Amino acid sequence: MSTFDVELTVNGTPRQGSVEPRRTLADFLREDLGLTGTHLGCEHGVCGACTVLVNGEPARSCLMLAVQARGADILTVEGLANNGVMNPLQQAMWESHGFQCGFCTPGFLMQITALLVENPNPGEEEIREALSGNLCRCTGYESIVNGVLRAAGHDGSPPEPRH
Amino acid sequence: MQNIAERYTGASVKRSEDPRILTGTGCYVDDVRLPGMLHAAFVRSPSAHARITGVDVTEARKLPGVIAVLTGEELDALTVRGPGAAGMFSAGLPMPSFSVLATDKVRLVGDPVVLVVAESRYLAEDACELVVVDYEELPAVITQEQALDPAGPPIFEDLGSNVLVRSPVATFGDVEGAFARADRVVRAELRQHRHQNVPMECRGVVCSFDLGSGELTVYSATQGVHIARTGFATQLDMPLEKVRVLAGDIGGSFGLKLGAAREDIACAAASRRLGRPIRWIEDRSENLTASGQARDESFEVEAAISNEGHILGLRVKMIIDTGAYPGLGGMLPEAVKGMIPGPYKIGALSFESTAVITNKASYVAYRGPWASETWVRERMIDLIAKELAMEPLEVRLRNVVTRGEPPLQMLTGRSLVGVTSRESLDRIAALVDVEAFRRRQAEARAQGRYLGLGLATYIEAAPGPRTPGGGGGIMGPEQMRLRLEEDGTVTVFTSQMPHGQSHQTTLAQIAADEFGVPFDQVRVVVGDTDVVPMGFGTGGSRSATMAGGVSLHGARALRAKVFEVAAHLFEASPEDMDLAAGAVSVRGVPARAVPLGEIARAAHEPGRVPRDLEGDLEVTAEYDGGEGGWAGGTHAAIVEVDVETGQVRIERYLVAEDCGVLINPAIVEGQVRGGVAQGIGAVLLERSAYDPDSGQYLSSTFMDYLIPTACEIPRIEIEHLETVPLDADVNFRGVGEGGMIIAPPTLCNAIEDALSPMGVRVTEQHLPPCRILELIGAIALDP
Ligand code: FES
Ligand code: FES
Repeated sequence: MSTFDVELTVNGTPRQGSVEPRRTLADFLREDLGLTGTHLGCEHGVCGACTVLVNGEPARSCLMLAVQARGADILTVEGLANNGVMNPLQQAMWESHGFQCGFCTPGFLMQITALLVENPNPGEEEIREALSGNLCRCTGYESIVNGVLRAAGHDGSPPEPRH
Repeated sequence: MQNIAERYTGASVKRSEDPRILTGTGCYVDDVRLPGMLHAAFVRSPSAHARITGVDVTEARKLPGVIAVLTGEELDALTVRGPGAAGMFSAGLPMPSFSVLATDKVRLVGDPVVLVVAESRYLAEDACELVVVDYEELPAVITQEQALDPAGPPIFEDLGSNVLVRSPVATFGDVEGAFARADRVVRAELRQHRHQNVPMECRGVVCSFDLGSGELTVYSATQGVHIARTGFATQLDMPLEKVRVLAGDIGGSFGLKLGAAREDIACAAASRRLGRPIRWIEDRSENLTASGQARDESFEVEAAISNEGHILGLRVKMIIDTGAYPGLGGMLPEAVKGMIPGPYKIGALSFESTAVITNKASYVAYRGPWASETWVRERMIDLIAKELAMEPLEVRLRNVVTRGEPPLQMLTGRSLVGVTSRESLDRIAALVDVEAFRRRQAEARAQGRYLGLGLATYIEAAPGPRTPGGGGGIMGPEQMRLRLEEDGTVTVFTSQMPHGQSHQTTLAQIAADEFGVPFDQVRVVVGDTDVVPMGFGTGGSRSATMAGGVSLHGARALRAKVFEVAAHLFEASPEDMDLAAGAVSVRGVPARAVPLGEIARAAHEPGRVPRDLEGDLEVTAEYDGGEGGWAGGTHAAIVEVDVETGQVRIERYLVAEDCGVLINPAIVEGQVRGGVAQGIGAVLLERSAYDPDSGQYLSSTFMDYLIPTACEIPRIEIEHLETVPLDADVNFRGVGEGGMIIAPPTLCNAIEDALSPMGVRVTEQHLPPCRILELIGAIALDP
């Protein structure tokens, strides 16, 4: 099968490769560029684990082809920390015990990154709505929601129960 | 030991796993890269039940980039037959003969038939398309009725029928007398539907056989590296010492990833044959179709009751559908029988069971595998309350045991010492305010809104109180090695294989407290058969007590050994040693303190300490579970059912739980919430569905098998009950499975309560909107 050159920017660094047209962006990132922080939980666009930001917008890298990302600016989970220092969202998730097994985590972090750019102060309902395309099998989501609230500047403690 | 005020145990210490998990630098099995690594894919059966009449791999072998195509027959010649991963649960059960991949027949949709190994996964899948397998279709055995039909086609010819095991009636107490005395008898046929683990990471393995040394190294996503190693060694006919199993980060499991799976063995055999590393990463459709499924039991229950709501006796008949390849499913009825009385004063019990084989995915452990005992009991109690027009809480309070009063053991034998079910019921009653809820419910009904309250109670032997002659429960005692390093840190080697449970944090908390070093100076090493002690691994809610306990006792022993070495350096007595700020001194003479690292170095340097103390400053500790204890609790749900759409909204979900002394409250609450979320999913969304005629699997994508999202799971209010300490040192109890055990009956009870004006009687666990509309008569019943 013939291959095509792909040049793009990943986490601020220009990268390039030569791929078959059918190669997914996820496989390109994970296998060709060695960025294994992005995970694959379904490869059919439902679980959200593979979410990366393409030109600032969340995208499912399992549903996108590497050739479609030519020239794009990609942000993956590896690009969140700065010189080994976790960014405020990562810190907030650590404080909130956001995750357990960590497999869903890259997708959530990227989706939340996009959410907080769009709405720096989301309420709980908005957060849940925004995260409804990301599956987590471990946490029951509450700790993740708390992490988002904390990252958005709330103190991260759960609100009073709804009666 | 740390001062109480600065103890890590009991604090929500931030997890040491998180820096790697949050930065994308963890290492899951799909992240392992070995030089020359090849990629595997499997050709799988499209039919539920068929005879294989021909396999043609010629075209597949010709495809450029394909390295090997191995048929079931070829792999059969390279491996030893055996029950594989399932064998650890099936001792004593009839075990048919079957090969690593299917040879004679396929027995479920997704049964692996041919292994393709290629330069990339893409090419391996291309080659799978070129393999031609001829099948002669056989009638599919899908339902319990079909499996019980003696005229049906046997799935394993050597078993003769599709009944795997039939256990005769066992009786406890005077069952006939109880039914003769009863004021009433409540009967129900209850069903728990098939659903499954669905960890976000599918299964996977990287197998690397070294032709030079004859050693096999396997990177696996597994709950226990030693169990997996035994599986590989047995089925590859290799000495244990030549097999090393490594595991890194694991993306969840919930019981699924135990031992060496058939696909794992096939990849290892292929790696041995090719002398190259092979990676197999299951995809989601393989995972949903063929990795294994759970639950799928039906019960006929009769309860003899008095008009006051006392349960005089129970008659229970259980049928369990174990799927195609026998394993855990066959032994579960024994566990259900033992646990079915729960924390209640049930007067008498008769129990009989049948385990059948069907053309469905094999039965695997899933978070609280025996949970049907709780589902059946807690559902029956609500049906009894309905019969008597009593408050379900009241029926529970009338029957539940009271601590310190007889009976002191379950009807089926286990000690009930320390059970706090009554306390958790009382606590939930106070939190909910049942009377106030009933008033609000009545007002809502007057406006055409349907609110319901459900509650349910469970206990789990995690590990259970010490039983005479027992030690560590069915999985044996727990070992740990602990070593003081030359930099003054402590390394802990555990056979626990965390896959979300955060043991690298919790075990370090305990060891840090007991040894007396800061939390970040304890490193917990997992996942390498070459260095971690023998042991089952992680499962059965046993880690808190067993691994927590051995961490405590091991750290204590290491401290004593360090003091012994230090005492020689000081020419003083070990009893006079003191440890503070990372250094040991003679008590009262802190100025002459020696740093911990220096003590480790002294032990390494010949001649500085007596010969018997020379070498690594290390101890091996073993723990049998001590006095043990029950974990348990009561959950309550308040729901509103929309009778137009069948949607269930959970308004409040409350938990009053007792898992003993908390090691890390945030981690405990994460386990509880995660389990409850799976239970909510099981009731409202999830079902492993088969077409009963063709046997086709209908839930092979996330569009068909729905797991809950952030929009379906409410906030979960948790209260921790003060526990009853039974042991002098270790009163941590397991909490991993409880949420999943108790949430389904809690939610079903709430939904039935909401729909009680329509006379709905809930006898099944799966209640998606369409089923609710059927139950209330809004749409026609599915025949
Ligand atoms: S892996 Fe891309 S959405 Fe699941
Ligand atoms: S933390 Fe395990 S799937 Fe989300």
